[in-house]
Amino acid sequence: MDAFLGGMATLGDPFILLMVVAGTLLGIVVGALPGISGSTTIALLLPFTIGLSPIAALAFMGSVYCAANFGGSITAIMVNAPGDPSASATAIEGYKLAQKGQAGVALGMSAVSSAIGGIVSVVVLIFAAPLLARAAYSFGPPEYFALAIFGLSMCAAIGGESRVKNLIAAAIGVLLATVGIDLTSGIDRFSFGITELSDGIDFVPVLIGLFAVSEMLEQATLRGVPATIIAYTSAKLPSWADFRKCNRSIWIGSGIGTFIGALPALGATTAALVGYAETRRWSKHKHEFGHGSLEGVAGPEAANNAAVGGSMVPTLALGVPGSATTAIILAGLMVQGVRPGPHLFTEQPTLLYAVFASMLAANLLYLVMGMGMAKIFARISLIPPTLLWPGVFVLSVIGAYGPNQAIGDVVVMLAAGVVGFLFRRHGFSPAPLIMGLVLGRMVEETLKQSMIIFDQSVAGFAGRPIALGLLLVTAIGLFGPALLRLVRRGVPA
Amino acid sequence: MHDRHQIPRGAGRRALLAGASLGLLAAPGILRAQERFPARTIEVVTHSGAGGGTDITARMMMVQAPAEFGVELTVVNRTAGSGTAALAYAASKPRDGHTILLITQTHLLTMLRNRLPTQLDDLVGIARATEDPQVLMVKAGSPLADPQAFIAASRGRSLKYGGTHVGSVDHVSIFAFARAASFTAPTLVPFRGGGDIIINLVGGNIDAALANPAEAEAQIRAGEVKPLMALSRQRLAALPDVPTAIELGIESVAATSRGFAVLKGTPEDRVARLEEGLLKAMNSAVFQNYLRTSGQAPDSVAGRQVWQRQLAAFNTEGREALTTLGLMR
Amino acid sequence: MSGVASPRREAGVALVVAAVAALGFAGTFTFDEVPPALREGLGAAEFPRLICIVILALAALLALQEKRSEAAEPVPATGWWTFAACAGFLPVMAVIGMLPAMFLFVVAVGRLWGERRIALLLASGAGLVAAIWLVFVRVFAITLPAGWLGEQLLG
Repeated sequence: MDAFLGGMATLGDPFILLMVVAGTLLGIVVGALPGISGSTTIALLLPFTIGLSPIAALAFMGSVYCAANFGGSITAIMVNAPGDPSASATAIEGYKLAQKGQAGVALGMSAVSSAIGGIVSVVVLIFAAPLLARAAYSFGPPEYFALAIFGLSMCAAIGGESRVKNLIAAAIGVLLATVGIDLTSGIDRFSFGITELSDGIDFVPVLIGLFAVSEMLEQATLRGVPATIIAYTSAKLPSWADFRKCNRSIWIGSGIGTFIGALPALGATTAALVGYAETRRWSKHKHEFGHGSLEGVAGPEAANNAAVGGSMVPTLALGVPGSATTAIILAGLMVQGVRPGPHLFTEQPTLLYAVFASMLAANLLYLVMGMGMAKIFARISLIPPTLLWPGVFVLSVIGAYGPNQAIGDVVVMLAAGVVGFLFRRHGFSPAPLIMGLVLGRMVEETLKQSMIIFDQSVAGFAGRPIALGLLLVTAIGLFGPALLRLVRRGVPA
Repeated sequence: MHDRHQIPRGAGRRALLAGASLGLLAAPGILRAQERFPARTIEVVTHSGAGGGTDITARMMMVQAPAEFGVELTVVNRTAGSGTAALAYAASKPRDGHTILLITQTHLLTMLRNRLPTQLDDLVGIARATEDPQVLMVKAGSPLADPQAFIAASRGRSLKYGGTHVGSVDHVSIFAFARAASFTAPTLVPFRGGGDIIINLVGGNIDAALANPAEAEAQIRAGEVKPLMALSRQRLAALPDVPTAIELGIESVAATSRGFAVLKGTPEDRVARLEEGLLKAMNSAVFQNYLRTSGQAPDSVAGRQVWQRQLAAFNTEGREALTTLGLMR
Repeated sequence: MSGVASPRREAGVALVVAAVAALGFAGTFTFDEVPPALREGLGAAEFPRLICIVILALAALLALQEKRSEAAEPVPATGWWTFAACAGFLPVMAVIGMLPAMFLFVVAVGRLWGERRIALLLASGAGLVAAIWLVFVRVFAITLPAGWLGEQLLG
């Protein structure tokens, strides 16, 4: 308890507080910009954190990480260009809301649900990190295989009206995930001698192409049609009724995000997509999904920010990074001479609680800043399309190029833009394709790893209760409703 | 040769103007310094994305380097193809010492496997930056958690080793180690990263792994992973009770190394200047602290002779392993 | 947005999807052979082939479903020109560099979309490019493609 209070008290230090404020602001900005992620920013600033005290350095990096995940939702909602991959699920419903003139409501809801998700996960981190971290050891390839199948099983339901089309999009995503060098055989697949492709199709350019570029192409076909004047209601913030409606989605998202984030092999993007699918599954307003559902913003945003706290679990408690960003934070910790692991919780609790306190503070800060800025950002809707969309394209180019500095990624983005455009015209949705791309690689790799571990015998799965349980849940989710209907029909009324 | 690639006189001002609009130059000063070396920003090319282990090594070196060289340094991340894109980028630049590569064994294996236009003979090592010895690790409390038991078991059946992808540095090291110890050929279970390997070791999904001590430090301290033998010449300061493989009669050393190199054709005096500056920068307190805290060997930083010899040795070992495994294309 | 029942259109879409799957399936036969030391178990081609078969089956299902689908409106000339501008962006970038190509794109497409205030377009393009240069090049030290022209100017 003393350590807890001591940690919280560090926020009284004006310098630490300044680091948190600076980190939060920077995080929102880089998160919103496609092409610069929280992880890139932390990597670039790593050398400068050496001069800081461990607490100040960690407070800074933690704040950037928390805020960047929220920042991604701003561009996702306003121009359909997810600033951060984890915001792709937010773009699905958020941008629809912005088109309906409810940008402010979507942005405000994103800030609130992000903050709640973030805070829930930090609280879990404070009380259950060492315990939750042990779960990571129970998850080997067979369990991840089952989990990935569970995720893919949701693809039929998310996205467009037609289940067949959703499944086709998902399968194409899985097929795209096989491009590049196969992990278990070292064979180059579908890369046609292009170096960039041999590492696999990068997720970011596909995302930007499918969402932002295809939207620009769509807008291009609307020229001549008088532009829909988006009412000034854009700047309106969510009401109490809105929050009450989304309450359940936020908690579902927070729970899923914390759990998925805590698994080292899965990150915020998966958390957000699964959060989106589950929010829809349990929603009372299913018909709104795909047409601008506020719950569809709240669920994934809570999930991706909960995944931030979640991914700190294995990072701090096991010394194994839970995401790309925590890998860099881990390096930063090591440089500061802090050795993560279970002992950190007993040996340096004050440092740990100071980190938690600063993450909590960052979550509250971007909530305040986000609410304040929502009114301003919402006015992006008022920029004339003739200036806005060419600008979005230019930002998309730098967004695709930035992470790997490869022109090949720009080509992939353009191709994805055309695919996304054709998808829209023929009633396909990009959401299942993204899900397939994210999980496809995991399905194949964990299956092959499992088979090596089981000496090439499928029977090996029988000895893995967690994997079997997850597969069972998947089967119930897929066939349960149909079975239930059959049974009901069988029972005489 | 190299003179041809230098900036023509008088082009400087235009270049500066264009540079401002194209966003190419981080530091001006191109006009005055024609003869001086370095005359402009030095690019450090790495195959690692921002925040990757190798990228961090580069950035740690760069804390002190600008003071040593009197110019800015910038990292160029070319991540594609396990070094292919980084090598191609460096090859596209003039060989005037303003483009240096931060290479690892991965680059050598990539060059060998894919028969790239750039081979080891085209590279000139400048200085080694990090040296991270590999340690054989098993799950604590398992029947294999004793060096003699492990050796006996390895000669009876094929053990499962966690490692990064097929044909990786891990794969080559595991192969070379098993061969030196005359073990039954091990089975590789490929994973995406070092963290996954340690988790699966604790989870009991694999029998053994070669890992750097820092990767498994938390698990070693928690008594969940047991380091069996160090693949280094001397015992490691961090793990003084762990015998070396050599002590146990297995002539095998393996380490993850990173160091700087330029392409052949760079003038000799510039290579010497780069070596001097890099060594000074890496002997600074910041870099040495980085080495210590990330668990690298204290004698990591070494000059070009040591580094060049090590590269050549690994190249030979890698070629042998890849050929035997049938992984050469 | 009048919904027009046109099963033939879905059949066309199904055909395109099936063609993609068939191409993918054929592509798996171009993979290198798995080295003998690793030949046990699942190789490199099985999984992609399985997925291609799944897509083929789904395409057949789609063709049989004959679901109503809204006929999309034809793409107007502006749309095609915007496509051309996107496709042309890469070659232009290869010649004049990324930032100048971006400036051109903003101005050209803005004009194409019917923006008449040229000064506003120029200012928007210049401002955007300057902001990108400041953030990405100056602050985050990302090297942007300079293009043929940039290489010439800078040697």
